[in-house]
Amino acid sequence: MVTELLSPLNIIIIALGAGFLLPLIHARSPRFAGQVMFASLLYFVIISAYHFYTLIGGAPAVEIITAGIQPPFAINLRFGLAEAFVLLAVNTAALFGARYMFDELREHASAMILFIVWIMGINGMVMTRDLFNLFIFVEITAVSSFVLVAMRANSIALSAGFKYVIAGTMASGFLLLGTMLLYYQTGTLNIDDLIIHQEMITGPFGTAALMLVLGAILVELKPFPANGWGLDVYQAAPAGIAALLSVGVSAAYLFALYKILPLLTSFLPVIAATGLLTFVASNFIGLRQSDPRRLLGYSSVGQLGLMVTALALLTKFSLTEYIPLVVGGLFISHFLAKAGLFWLAGIIKGSELGDWSQLRSKPVLIIAFLFLITALAGLPPFPTFWAKWQLVMSLMEYQQHGWVFFILLGSLLEVVYLFRWFGKAVSSQSDKALDISSSGNRQWLPVVLFVGLLLACGQVMASSFDLPVMALLPVYAGLLLMLIDGLGERLKQIASLLVIIAYSVYLIPSLDGLNWIFGLMLLPGSILILIASTYQQGTARPGFYPLFVMLVLSLGTLLAAETMLGFFLAWELMTVSSYLLVSLGKKATRPSLVYLVFSIAGAFLILFAFALIYAQTGSMQLSAIGQAGIVSNWPFILLLSGFFIKMGGLGVHVWLPDAYAECDDDFTAMMSSVVSKAGVFGLFVVGTQMTAQLNDMDTILTVVGWVGLIMALAGAIMAAMSEDIKHLLAYSSIGQLGYIVTTFAIANHTGWVAAMYLAVNHLLYKGLIFLAIAGVLYRVKTRYMYQMGGLIKNMPISFISVLIGIITISGVPPLLGFGGKWLLYNALLERGWYLQAGLAFFASAVAFLYLFKLIHTIFLGQRKSEHEHVKEAPLALLIPQITFMVLIMAFSMFPNILIQPLSDAVAPFMASTFTWEGYLLITENGYWNGFLVMNIVGVLFMAPAILLWLVSKKMKVQKVKQFNIVFAAERPFTPATTHYAYNFYAFYDKAIGFLTRPDATRFWNGVSEWGHTVGASLRRFYTGNGQTYAGLILFYIGVMYLAVRTL
Amino acid sequence: MFEFNLPLANIVLVTGFLLILSGLWAMFIHKNIIRMIIGFSLMDTGIHMIMVALGYITGGTAPIFDDAVDGMQMVDPVPSALVLTAIVIGLGVTAVMLSYAVKIHQAKNSLSIDDCAEQKW
Amino acid sequence: MLKRLFMLIALVLIAILFFDVASNFTERSELSGISQYYVEQGAEELGAANLVTSVVVTYRGLDTLGEVTVLFISAAGASLLLRRRRNTNKKLVVEESSEIVQTTLSIMFPIIMLFGVYIFINGHLTPGGGFQGGAVVASALLFFMLARPNDSISHKLLMKIESLSGFTYVVLGVLGVILAGGFLDNRVLGLGEFGSLFSAGLIPLIYILVGLKVGSELGSLLQKFRE
Repeated sequence: MVTELLSPLNIIIIALGAGFLLPLIHARSPRFAGQVMFASLLYFVIISAYHFYTLIGGAPAVEIITAGIQPPFAINLRFGLAEAFVLLAVNTAALFGARYMFDELREHASAMILFIVWIMGINGMVMTRDLFNLFIFVEITAVSSFVLVAMRANSIALSAGFKYVIAGTMASGFLLLGTMLLYYQTGTLNIDDLIIHQEMITGPFGTAALMLVLGAILVELKPFPANGWGLDVYQAAPAGIAALLSVGVSAAYLFALYKILPLLTSFLPVIAATGLLTFVASNFIGLRQSDPRRLLGYSSVGQLGLMVTALALLTKFSLTEYIPLVVGGLFISHFLAKAGLFWLAGIIKGSELGDWSQLRSKPVLIIAFLFLITALAGLPPFPTFWAKWQLVMSLMEYQQHGWVFFILLGSLLEVVYLFRWFGKAVSSQSDKALDISSSGNRQWLPVVLFVGLLLACGQVMASSFDLPVMALLPVYAGLLLMLIDGLGERLKQIASLLVIIAYSVYLIPSLDGLNWIFGLMLLPGSILILIASTYQQGTARPGFYPLFVMLVLSLGTLLAAETMLGFFLAWELMTVSSYLLVSLGKKATRPSLVYLVFSIAGAFLILFAFALIYAQTGSMQLSAIGQAGIVSNWPFILLLSGFFIKMGGLGVHVWLPDAYAECDDDFTAMMSSVVSKAGVFGLFVVGTQMTAQLNDMDTILTVVGWVGLIMALAGAIMAAMSEDIKHLLAYSSIGQLGYIVTTFAIANHTGWVAAMYLAVNHLLYKGLIFLAIAGVLYRVKTRYMYQMGGLIKNMPISFISVLIGIITISGVPPLLGFGGKWLLYNALLERGWYLQAGLAFFASAVAFLYLFKLIHTIFLGQRKSEHEHVKEAPLALLIPQITFMVLIMAFSMFPNILIQPLSDAVAPFMASTFTWEGYLLITENGYWNGFLVMNIVGVLFMAPAILLWLVSKKMKVQKVKQFNIVFAAERPFTPATTHYAYNFYAFYDKAIGFLTRPDATRFWNGVSEWGHTVGASLRRFYTGNGQTYAGLILFYIGVMYLAVRTL
Repeated sequence: MFEFNLPLANIVLVTGFLLILSGLWAMFIHKNIIRMIIGFSLMDTGIHMIMVALGYITGGTAPIFDDAVDGMQMVDPVPSALVLTAIVIGLGVTAVMLSYAVKIHQAKNSLSIDDCAEQKW
Repeated sequence: MLKRLFMLIALVLIAILFFDVASNFTERSELSGISQYYVEQGAEELGAANLVTSVVVTYRGLDTLGEVTVLFISAAGASLLLRRRRNTNKKLVVEESSEIVQTTLSIMFPIIMLFGVYIFINGHLTPGGGFQGGAVVASALLFFMLARPNDSISHKLLMKIESLSGFTYVVLGVLGVILAGGFLDNRVLGLGEFGSLFSAGLIPLIYILVGLKVGSELGSLLQKFRE
């Protein structure tokens, strides 16, 4: 009895029974009519949920025959797992969708009828196994959509709707014609029967018949360029209708394609190509779009294109077992996210991307928006991420580089416009206010619910991969902390600190070798910076702590990763969380977007490399990198490039200065000292796996070595020419990372120890200096150095921090930096890179220029009158600084406690050439006793210093007014331009200035410009003319037919 | 090259295709929405004719059991049944299209498809 | 001009496809596939003399129900799209038709109606059926509207017929699930004597309902447009 009540056929029966009676019911009681509609929709959900549950438990697919006669003689329906999955999603969305737009639906009985019958049509399209019956349900769905789109009868919706009617009727006409031609050849209409007898579909006649059926279904999936009508409809239809049109109706057509795909073996490459063209083209066009509704349209058609491609390619390579994971994953992401976004679009007033800033008045919605965007962009932990991973891996196994390349290109473009949109939503101000009070929660609650479902689906999909339990811990920790984000500042800080400390205690002992060292660097480093972050009391930074925890935990997960998927997952999580943290800065919208785009591009290079490695070795372990290297150098080069981008490597560094400069001051310290080490870690992951091949890669390593040094030099020069203090330090970071790249490329024991040593060094002094500068900026509120000066008296501890920092950077004895330089030159000489050693020396000399500028312009010289009452930095900033200083001092004094473990960690990969005699380190080229150096320098420097201090106490300093002698003859208009610190190194400009010209920036701007131009020319198809759109549909089918015919 | 042998079904089939093409052409060229709808009707009729042609069997008679047709070859009943369905559906679609035409005329005071191009790019 | 050229190219492309079909088409000389089964077994299995009717109402009954649905929703859609704004409720007064037309109406209206009813009642025996009959009924209604433009047919009545006949159709279909082999199985009632009016199980009943529904639907559609 229960099974009969829950028979899937009842969906059709109930819909029609209710639909036919609704006019009568509505005439008596409109209220009851509404209840009938909801009851029916709820019943659909219950039926599909029940069957989904039993089917997933292994029950056989439900076969429904009609008329009591077996197929193919009568129509039959099927309700298997795939059908149940799609329909559960569609019916759930329909239920919420009806609730969403109930105010409009209840006005008119016809609207309710159309809505129910519409959903029934979708159900029928999915269930039916008969081609002509499919046509009937297509028409039912289409006719209801035609009307619902224009239900508000406003001018734009009518125009869009009419174009839709033309396109829809053409498509269904072709479907009908194709069906009949197939019937002529095979004598059957049943899809399963057709598949069995497909050898009867022959010749040009058969090809034409299949083409008509396929063309009709594809047109409804809105392929480029035959999709102008679809975009208009998405933009003009009421949001609730557009949501279901984008997710429900499209799902039905996609499913129809899936059903007939076995008939279309010879069409598969063409289908895949048209899908991919749509994906890439609509994402290009999306770059130019400023109306969010239309942007959602482009995103929708793009996603559908990708699903079509995935479906066709997986079928082509007989990888059908991955269809549920890949197409199902893409589908459910698109489904939940698009429905949610269209629903949000309906709440928001205005048609500019910036209008979405209205969401900020309800924090849960802006978070939901972020999640939906992230899910669409294919970032973890959402389903698309897993689907794309699997798709790329599967395709690469069959050497489909081209397909993978374009899929990744399209995905990158998608990231650009989706997050540009998010950036506008969080940065701009809308003059309109969000009004959701009138509809209660029924318009926004479903959105939040769908976000929850997205997360749940992501988790379910993750479980089908071989991942450690903790792989998604960063996400959950972040989510958990998000819940208390509204609470007090202190509480959040302490909770975050506790989480990170607990995680460190758990993680670090489980690591070994280099990973252990990185663990010891990154996690405590993060803790120090998090402590410093507490100085920003009272400035609400929504999401800062959850994101910070997520970032740190994903760094930890990265270190612990053993498989390529685990590594890539952690890498992406790190990228997302750091992007969001950067975007918290006040003017960081654009820089953070640039950062994200470069990071994702880098991540895709890594993904591509991983896929190559997987294809060559069949293994997902990170250790497979080494085996793959034997076959080709490409994985190595790609991986290196990916990590290089993260480190801000030369040429791809353009994201770095602005991202560092515009994010919050304390977070800059995190980015520079901790996050950039992830790139270094990546280098070492590759390096340690490939030690066996490194000997044969002399050319590549030499190139990398040179690139590193040029980075070092260019970074130093650009730093010297900077006026903005944070830019200066950002360029300095580029330079310092350049040394690490070079030492890594040296690829001998000394080189790698040097690289690790430099990395530790950089972590310590960049953390130190950036925090000190954060304190300065906190007090003086300007980033331009020529507006500072003489702060030594106000901020003595910060001064000492910077002093220690620059001594360390510059590599003069006695501090830590000297050891780094010493190891660097040792390694270079050992390798025989004499020319490079010279360049490194030159770069270090240039570094002095900016270091001097840094300390001089800020702390020495004359103090500005407005800075007279500036106080020392807050204690929260000073404590970590002092910790860093203590560490620097300790390592300087006893370098062996640092070098020894480094050397040991490197030793398994590169035979050690070090010998130790107490504190004396002996290498091939010399020896160094850090302890002794420290003591000697200490005596040599400290004695005169104390003396000088005593003398200066006695001297009388003559005070002068700031403007009395500084300017001669001329009267300055702005103090900035005549301040001595402005354009400090103008005289070097003639000699080396050409090196600082922003050629890289210009190049990347050109790339961006080019992308926009492509988008602009592609969208010229969309003239808005209904007849052109109709012509394009015909053209599309015709060209496709010619392609298939000639192939 | 080829030649159409001239049985009844071929003539109907070719006529059907020509109707479809002329219907499409009408939908592409005429600015007036009503004429576009007529174009659609032409196309639809063309499809129906083709359906009938596909089901025709040389010398066949109507598939109704009757004393008169005893033992005679019948035409395929399936396309006849389907064309019936298709005609009714075409009628329904035409009704919706005409409602659109009425509404568009009310909203824009024009029946030209060129006035329906507010959205682009 | 460029646009016209493009349209021509598109049309030529699709014409190539059509050409491929037409040049590979030969008239069929014998039945094949499912139609063979229908001709051999259909009469015996379902008891209807008109095979097309068997296919329409039973073998492909779901299609027919869907087709009724399409007509239903296009009528509903027309009424949703053409709904009048509340305040602009003025009635157009049109000149009455000539006396000849009016007189013809009073003679012909019942005859046309009757003819329509005949067609749908005999759908299982002779050419015709619910849709054809319904269309004839609707043409009677159209005649009425043309001849007497200022009188309207009761909206409520049409709606009631439309709703109830549709609902009953679904109920009859469900009876098939309970009493016979499946949804829309016509063998709920006995098949009766082959070739007589009361035969072929539910088919005549369903065709009556379809006829009523189509007639009233087309009628109300026409009324909508007239308004």
